Amino acid sequence: MLSPKITIDYSKCTIPFDCKRCLQTCASAVFMLVTLKSERGKETDKEETGAYRVEPWFRDRCTGCMDCVKACPVNAITIKVPKEVAP
Amino acid sequence: MGCRMDEMLGEGQIWYLNPKNYAHRMYKKREPGGREATTMLAGAEEIRASQVADRPIGEVVRDAAEAKANGDLDTFHRLIRELNEREAKVPGCHVLPLEDCFRVVDLVQGPMAAMMCICRKNVRGEEASCLDEYSCMGIGTGMLKWERWPERYRGGIEFLSPSQAKEWLEYWDKRGYVHMVMQEGQDFIGGLCNCDYPACQPLRLRLDYGVTSWLVKGEYVAKVDYNQCNGCGDCIKRCQFGALRYEVALDKANIDPFLCFGCGLCATICRRSAIELIPRERFPALANVW
Repeated sequence: MLSPKITIDYSKCTIPFDCKRCLQTCASAVFMLVTLKSERGKETDKEETGAYRVEPWFRDRCTGCMDCVKACPVNAITIKVPKEVAP
Repeated sequence: MGCRMDEMLGEGQIWYLNPKNYAHRMYKKREPGGREATTMLAGAEEIRASQVADRPIGEVVRDAAEAKANGDLDTFHRLIRELNEREAKVPGCHVLPLEDCFRVVDLVQGPMAAMMCICRKNVRGEEASCLDEYSCMGIGTGMLKWERWPERYRGGIEFLSPSQAKEWLEYWDKRGYVHMVMQEGQDFIGGLCNCDYPACQPLRLRLDYGVTSWLVKGEYVAKVDYNQCNGCGDCIKRCQFGALRYEVALDKANIDPFLCFGCGLCATICRRSAIELIPRERFPALANVW
């Protein structure tokens, strides 16, 4: 079994914690928010570019449904379905 | 014989009902080499030398998932197995029903603070800013330092009295969230969470990836009294573990005792009190199923 390849263009996806659409759309919960900036004494600004990042974490659970691609308001997600897919 | 935490830390009772695990060792012990937990058994060093080593559980599983996505099942199974072997040496998270949560509250005798759920933040982008949205609880004097890490406690926290804590637990039980003692390798009890699939990582990793070591089944198993059950089906949707089915022929709720984690959410919704939580040890075939 080969799962779909998921690519996120981080020049387009800059404020994922503010947007959160792929996180809330994916029925298989493939994506995970990673907190890159965490300072003592201060909550991280959701709208700061690069403070958070969304990553395809559980890629083996991706069915290739494309709901995330459709939900992304900045077209940052690319899904490539391999010729050999899950049975 | 109870679960591994009962054996190592229970001293004859359920470990989360032993007051020693709250009053004792409130502060994290820092060991050389970076891992903060004290292990229950000597000889954990050889596990650290493996590929799995001291990497966070979530990262190991991500690598395992990536291997599986690439068709490499051998690596997938090896990583999960090594992770389970490593984590079996330390306490895991433990599912417990509402009644036992109340007993925990009575035992804490120290700070209890409700806060946002980091799992739901990371998986669903959820944000929390008031008590109705704080589904996790930090236990112990460490909570008094919370303001040092505002991003971890994003949205603030709220300290609770014992009666407030019980009301808060009842609220999350009504909403259908699984209660668990939350552990990240420590040998003291520092967290009590209200969880759901797929956001909760201990839950997700056990159900989808076979990480059986991080989340341990509860001390009870749910059982339906067929004389009381009227087949209304309210309990079926409460189960986060897939243990509940509606049995068409009998018009009853069917609980698979081998899948049941004893969270009690089915029991608390039943209007006819038709579901009982029975101590796991009373089922000979389940006594050692954790």
